[in-house]
Amino acid sequence: MEKSKICLILLTISLFASSTYAKNKLSAVTATADLADFVRNIGGDKVEVVSLSVGNQDLHAVEPRPSMVMKVKKAGLLVRVGMDIDLWMQGVIEASRNKNVMRDAKGYLDASLNIHKLEVPEGKIDASMGDIHIYGNPHYLYGPENAAPILKAIKSKLSELSPENKEYFQENCNEYSGRLGNKINEWKAKMEPFKGMKIVTYHNSWPYFAKMFDLKVAGCIEPKPGIPPSPAHINDLVEKMRSENVKTIIIEPYYNVSVAESIAKKAGAKVVVLPPSVGGVKGVDTYIDLFDYNVNKLVESLR
Amino acid sequence: MLELMLLPFFACIVLTGIHAYLGIHVIEREVIFVDLALAQIAALGSIIAFMLGIEFHTTGAYLFSLLFTFIGATVFSVTRLKERKVPQEALIGVVYVVTAALAVLLIDRLPSEAGHIKYMLVGNILFVKWSEILKMFLLYSAVGLFHYFYRKKFLIISIDINKAKKQNLSIKWWDFLFYASFGIVVTSSVEIAGVLLVFAFLIVPAVCAMILSDTLKTRLIIGWGMGLLGSIIGLYFSAAFDFPTGSTIVCVFGLLLLITALTKKLIK
Repeated sequence: MEKSKICLILLTISLFASSTYAKNKLSAVTATADLADFVRNIGGDKVEVVSLSVGNQDLHAVEPRPSMVMKVKKAGLLVRVGMDIDLWMQGVIEASRNKNVMRDAKGYLDASLNIHKLEVPEGKIDASMGDIHIYGNPHYLYGPENAAPILKAIKSKLSELSPENKEYFQENCNEYSGRLGNKINEWKAKMEPFKGMKIVTYHNSWPYFAKMFDLKVAGCIEPKPGIPPSPAHINDLVEKMRSENVKTIIIEPYYNVSVAESIAKKAGAKVVVLPPSVGGVKGVDTYIDLFDYNVNKLVESLR
Repeated sequence: MLELMLLPFFACIVLTGIHAYLGIHVIEREVIFVDLALAQIAALGSIIAFMLGIEFHTTGAYLFSLLFTFIGATVFSVTRLKERKVPQEALIGVVYVVTAALAVLLIDRLPSEAGHIKYMLVGNILFVKWSEILKMFLLYSAVGLFHYFYRKKFLIISIDINKAKKQNLSIKWWDFLFYASFGIVVTSSVEIAGVLLVFAFLIVPAVCAMILSDTLKTRLIIGWGMGLLGSIIGLYFSAAFDFPTGSTIVCVFGLLLLITALTKKLIK
């Protein structure tokens, strides 16, 4: 009993201490570890950032926990992926009742805002069109070239919230953008020999990645997460992979790898499991790490 | 943290109030999974409404899911077989899997993400709002009063169908009223608390109560006590160890049932 009392007191003290400590720093919360890495690089030691999801999680299906709400409650800045993919964030934000990070508030940033979006449906949407996101394909973080407008938006938000550090953020943003730009050239050079190659992906989450490296997505195994593909769809896909000589299936670790493998076997292709986000694999701790890892792994299997 | 858990706590109280009572009926009738089936039918209703161009969480969508709930209630009330060659539970299970599978087929043809829709139809108790609690409270109070007013009839058709026949009660009609009112309750509960948690609120406190007592009055009191206890412990664990709230409460309910059963055995 005594022990637990002491623990409680210590906990209270540490909570109190950390909350006063955090006052000097701007506290930011992001939906994904990728976005957290961006904020960390620009905010440097002036910003404390946490991500609500971890790298290996399917962003469609994050299970909200009380601590997430507490983190948002304390946040001065919130960065989300948007485009309806991180819908669970909505509940977390509302439950936090933190007016500073509600939609349209000063501390709210939808990272998709200035992205050049792919697959935005034109005209009227109806059921016959299959899997369609009204805002376009939301997996834009799979394409590092999309980082530029996000970094710029984060820099502007941080400068707005903490004007005294404006120059510091600008410097960091320039430095990181430069570093990422060099890396992008390096990745593109590595992928150069495979330009125009066709791939199949498990979910339709790789168009931004494919566009950047000039790969062609010939089809998807499971157009909607959780809805098993019909036999006809699999047949068509295998047929297509054979006739168009598709040798690679890309899949995120949280989807059904054994389904991808059985299709790969039928079509004479190989399955490559690639983590979608920072932290998805041990040692992949930054956005740059992530694409180092994914590009190397892909090149290895394409060879 | 305490402030954050306050709304879920009030929601749990409201849920306990009606579900512990309805649970006793459901167990007496041996139709344990009827709540899953009715909730799934209601979800199917909102999906079909969505296909017809009615957005989720609108009055139109609600009326549609209500209509489907009533259809389900009709099915369950006319299929209560006189000679029990096949338990009604079997039929309920079939209705559940078929409506769930049908929902998958329909979602497959919808122009948006499946995960998206699942999220919209199943709630999370951590995110419950004041307005939702109030609405739930008013609705469940109305259903509760209705059941209190006709308590003799509802009890007889649940517990002693032969006696009901002797009294010339219209069994199909009262069965329909039971399932319809029950459907109204679970449909809103699932939208706020999710399928797992609603099932736990319905079954566990009632089973504990029936293990420990034989009269309705004490059963109700024990059921409410158990529901409250499970909610408090579950919410505490969720907050203290940062577990997803609904699932934590469900596990605590499982534990409570185990403890109740063991205690009963020891006392014997």
